[in-house]
Amino acid sequence: MKTPKKIKWKHFINYIVIGVFTLIFSLLSVTNSLDLLQKFLLEKIAISILLSVSLGLVVGFLGELSLGHAGFMCIGAYLGGKAASILEPILGSTLLTLTISLVIGGVSALISGLIIGLPALRLKGDYLAIVTLAFGEIVKTLFLNSSEDSFGGPTGINTPRFDNKYLFIVGFVLVLFMLFVIQNLIRSKHGRAITAIRDSEIAARATGINVVKYKLLVFALSAFFAGIAGVLYSYSNYTVQCTKFDYNYSIEILVMVVLGGMGNINGSIISALLITFLQVELASILTGNLAVLQNILYALVLILIVIYNNAPSLKGFRDKYNFKNLIKRLRKQKFDPSKEIDDEAKWDRVPTKIEMNEVLSLDIKVEESTLKPDKGDK
Amino acid sequence: MKKFFTKINLVLLMVVALFTTSVLSGCKNKGNEFVIGMSGPLTGGAAVYGLAVQKSAEMAVEEINALGGLNGYKFKLVATDDMHDPSKVSTNYASLMKQGMNFSLGCVTTKPCLEFKNLSKDDNLFFITPSATNDSVPEFANGYQMCFADTKQGTFSAQYINSNYEAGSLTIGVLYRAGDDYSQGIYQNFIDAIDTTKFGNVVVASFNEENPSSLESQVQSLKNCTLVFLPIYYTPASTFMTQAKDIISPNCVYFGCDGLDGIDGIQGFDINTIPQEISYLSHFNSNATTGLAKEFIDKYTAKNGKDTLNQFGASAYDCVYAIYNALKKAVEAGKNVTPKTSVSELCEILKEEFKTLSFNGVTGNNISWDSSGFVNKEAVKYIVKEKNS
Amino acid sequence: MLDFIVTFINGLSLGGIYAMIALGYTMVYGIAKMLNFAHGDIIMVSGYILIVFMGITGNIPLSILISIFFAGMFGVLMEKSAYMPLRGASPLAVLITAIGVSYLLQSVAQMIFGSAPKYVVIANLGSVNLFGLSIQLYKIITLAVTIVIMVVLSLFIKFSKTGRAMIAVSEDRGASGLMGIDSNKIISITFLIGAMLASVACTLYFLLTPNINPTFGAKPGIKAFTAAVIGGIGSIPGAMIGGIFLGIIECFSNSIPVLSPYTDAIEFLILIILLLVRPTGILGKKRKEKV
Repeated sequence: MKTPKKIKWKHFINYIVIGVFTLIFSLLSVTNSLDLLQKFLLEKIAISILLSVSLGLVVGFLGELSLGHAGFMCIGAYLGGKAASILEPILGSTLLTLTISLVIGGVSALISGLIIGLPALRLKGDYLAIVTLAFGEIVKTLFLNSSEDSFGGPTGINTPRFDNKYLFIVGFVLVLFMLFVIQNLIRSKHGRAITAIRDSEIAARATGINVVKYKLLVFALSAFFAGIAGVLYSYSNYTVQCTKFDYNYSIEILVMVVLGGMGNINGSIISALLITFLQVELASILTGNLAVLQNILYALVLILIVIYNNAPSLKGFRDKYNFKNLIKRLRKQKFDPSKEIDDEAKWDRVPTKIEMNEVLSLDIKVEESTLKPDKGDK
Repeated sequence: MKKFFTKINLVLLMVVALFTTSVLSGCKNKGNEFVIGMSGPLTGGAAVYGLAVQKSAEMAVEEINALGGLNGYKFKLVATDDMHDPSKVSTNYASLMKQGMNFSLGCVTTKPCLEFKNLSKDDNLFFITPSATNDSVPEFANGYQMCFADTKQGTFSAQYINSNYEAGSLTIGVLYRAGDDYSQGIYQNFIDAIDTTKFGNVVVASFNEENPSSLESQVQSLKNCTLVFLPIYYTPASTFMTQAKDIISPNCVYFGCDGLDGIDGIQGFDINTIPQEISYLSHFNSNATTGLAKEFIDKYTAKNGKDTLNQFGASAYDCVYAIYNALKKAVEAGKNVTPKTSVSELCEILKEEFKTLSFNGVTGNNISWDSSGFVNKEAVKYIVKEKNS
Repeated sequence: MLDFIVTFINGLSLGGIYAMIALGYTMVYGIAKMLNFAHGDIIMVSGYILIVFMGITGNIPLSILISIFFAGMFGVLMEKSAYMPLRGASPLAVLITAIGVSYLLQSVAQMIFGSAPKYVVIANLGSVNLFGLSIQLYKIITLAVTIVIMVVLSLFIKFSKTGRAMIAVSEDRGASGLMGIDSNKIISITFLIGAMLASVACTLYFLLTPNINPTFGAKPGIKAFTAAVIGGIGSIPGAMIGGIFLGIIECFSNSIPVLSPYTDAIEFLILIILLLVRPTGILGKKRKEKV
C-alpha cells in the first residue's frame, strides 16, 4: 500500500507568495490606486524574474555559463512584437492577440535555443560562454541591419502597448506558469538528471543519462521563457530596438542569477526583484548632476553583496548571522541535523558544485602559516 | 534591540533602506514651480550629449528664474538618466510625472525619444526635443523638434553640393555609422537627393561602433574622394580625420551635418593638424563670434568649460526659451498658466502659441514651427577650418 | 592588390593591439581562473593616468613609463581589494565582482574627467616607404612592440623562477601551494603584468585612435576576450594569434562596404565556426575530464 504523500509546503511557498502579491496588486490596479511608476516597475520586475529564473536553469542547474540570454529575448521581442503589430488591427488589443504573439515569440526563441544548444554539446565552460555571447551579438547585428519594412533597422519596430493596468498581471501569471514548468521539471527525475550532468557529465553519461537530450531540453526551455520575456518587453514598450539586447544586458541577467545563488529559484526571484527595484529607484532619485552616482552605488552594492555572500573568510559570520538562523532562534527551536538530511524538497536548492581545487585552497588557508614559503631560501 | 539588527542579512537591510528612500522620494511638493522634465544619457557612452543638454537647459532655467520666472512661478529642471536605453524611458517618464512635470524637453537621443513620444501622447504632454532628429519624433500633435529632422539634413546637404559644385569636379564619398538612426537616416536621404548624373557614383563606407578604434579600412576605400560627406558625430569624425590625414588628399573637403559641431572643442585635438577643409551644415556654430550664439558660448564656457559645448546644448537652451516665450505670450493674452494647470491644458496653450511663435535664439533667427512640429530655421554652412595651404 | 596589402597591414597592427590586451586576459584566466571583465577598463584608467602625467610633466616618454607603472599598481590594487576576498569562491562570483569593478571604474572616471572625449597626441609619426608602399610608422611600431613583448613574456614564463611558479599555479593551485609557492603572490604578479600589458596596449591605441572617454575600454575588452578564446584561453601564443586573426578579419570586413555593417556579426560567426571545429581554440590545451 502506498501511503498518501504529505504535502510539502516548501514546494508551494513561492506560488503562494507571488500569487497573493499579484492578487493584491491587481486589486489595487483595478481600483486605480497604483500610480504609473508602480505599474511600470511591476512590469519590469515580472520581465526580470522571467529572465533570471530561465537563465538560472542553464547556469544554476545545467552548470553552463550563458552570456547570450538577451539574444533569445531579442528574438522573442522582435518576432512577438511584429506578430502583435500585425494582429492588432485585425483582432484588436485583446488577450487573444497577446497569447498568439507570446506563442510566436516563445517558439521562435525556443528554436534558436535548440540551435545554440547544439554547440553546447561540443563546447565547455568559457568556450561555450563566448559562443552564446557571440550568438547574442549576431542576433543584435542582424536586426540592426534589417531593412526598414521588415524589422525597421536601427529605429526598430513599433509595437502595440497593452493596457498598463493589466499588463503586469499578465506578466506575473506568466511568472507563475514558468515556475510551474521549471520547478516540476527540476523536482522530477529529469531535474535530477540535469543536475547530475552539471556535477559530472561523464558520470552522468555512465549511468545512462541521455546528455544530448537534456542539454537541448534545458537550452530550449530557457530560451522559450526568455522569448516570452521578450514579448512581454515588446508589450510594455512602444518600440523594440535591438541596441537594448547587447551583452551588457545578458550580463545584467547573469548578475541576478549569481546574486540569487546558483540553482536557487527563489533566490533568483528575489534578486531579480531587488536589482530591478534598485535600478529604477536609483534612476528616479538621483537625477541631474547626481546621475553619475547611481552607477557607483549600484556597483558598490554589487561588489559588497557578492563578497559578503561568497567570501570564504566570511563563511563563519554568514552561518552565524543568517536569516534562517534568526527565524530559528526566534522560534527557539533547537537545530536538529537529522531533519536536514534526506529532504526531497531540497531538490530546488541543490548546493553548488564543489570543485576539487576549491576544497584544496580552503584546506591550505587553514594552515597557511605553516605552509608559507621560506623567504630566505633562494 | 541592537542585537536584532546585527542578525539581519545585508539583503534585508538593503530592502528596508530602499523602501524608505522610495517613500521619501514620493514626498515632493507639487505646484509651486514649473517643472521641465527631460530624459537623456547622463552616464555611459553617449553621456556627452545628455550632459550638454542638461547643463544648458539648467543655465536657461537659472536665467529665467533670475528674471523672476513667469507669472510669479519659478522654473525647475528635472533631468533623468536613460543611458541611451529606450526601455528606461517608461519609468523615467512615470517618475517625472510623479514629480509634477508640466512640460518636457523629451529625450536627448532619438531611440529613447521614439518611446517618449508614445508615452506622452496619452497624457497630451507638451514636449520639444532639442536633438532627437528622427522624422517621426513630432508624429503626434504634442511633439515638437528644435533640431532639423534627418530628411531635411540629408536633403539640404545634397542640395548644397548639387548647386555649389561643378559637374565632374568631385568624387563624392560618404562615411556613415550603420545601425545608428541619425547617421543612417541622413545618409539615405543624402544618397536619394544627390545628383549622381552630375557627380558619378558615390563611394560608401560605414562603421558600426559608437567610438570605433580603427577606421583605416574605411579610409582606404575613401582615399580617392575629393569630398567626403560625414553624417556622424564629432568623436568618430576626429578619429577618421586623424587616420586619414596622410592618406586622403589635402584638397579633399570634409562636409558634415550638425553632429560634427564641437569637433574643434575636443580637448587636446588640434584641428590645424588636419590638412583638409572641414565644414558642416548646421544651425549652430560653436565658434560663433557674434550674436546670441556668442553670448551663449561665453556663458556656457564660463560655467561648464568647453568640454561639453556643442549644438545639443545650444538647442536645449533654445528649447527652454521657446517654452518660456510661448508661455509669456499666453500669460499676456490672459490665459491661465500656473504649475497647477493640467498638463493637457498647458499643452493646448503651448501648441496654440507655437503656431505663431517666432523668436531669435542661439540656433538661428526667426525660429518658427510648422503645424506638424518641424522647425523652420536657416541651416548655415560653417567652415570650421580652411584647407592648409 | 595594393589595397589588399594595405588592409592586411592595417589588420596586423590592429590585431597587435588586440593581442596585447588578450595576453592580459589570457594570463589572468590561466592563473587565477577568472574572467576579468574589468580588464578593458584598465586600458581606460591607464589612458587617463597618461593624460594626467602628460599634463604634469610634459614629457611624453616619461609619462608613458609612469602610466605603465601606475596601471600595474592599479591592477594589483584591484585584485587585492575586489578579487582576493573571493579566492576559493565560485568563479562566477568573481565574474560578478569584476563586472561591478568595471561599472565602478567607468563611473568614477566620468566623475573625475567628465564624459566628453579627450584627445591625446603622443607622437606624430610619419610614414615610411617599403617596396613602393607607404606604411605609417606607428603600424610597424605596434607590430614590433607586440612581437617583442610576446617573446619576452614567453621567455620570462618559461625560464624565470616566477614564470615557472606561474605555470605551476595555473596547473594546480593546491599542489603548487604544497610545493612552497605562494599562490597569492603569483596571482598578484599576474595581475601586475596583465595591467601593464593593458597599459602598453593603451599607448599603442593612442598612436592609432587618440580619443579617450570613460567607456573607451569596453569594446577592446570584449574583442580581446574573443581573441583570447579564438587562440585558446590560457595560451600565450594563442592570444597573439587570436588577436591578429581578429584584427585582420575586422579590417577586411570593414573594407568591403556591403559587409562592413555586419563586421561584428562576421567576427563572431567565424569564432563560432572555429570553436565548433576546434572546441578549445587554435592553441588551447585539451583537458582530460576525470570523474
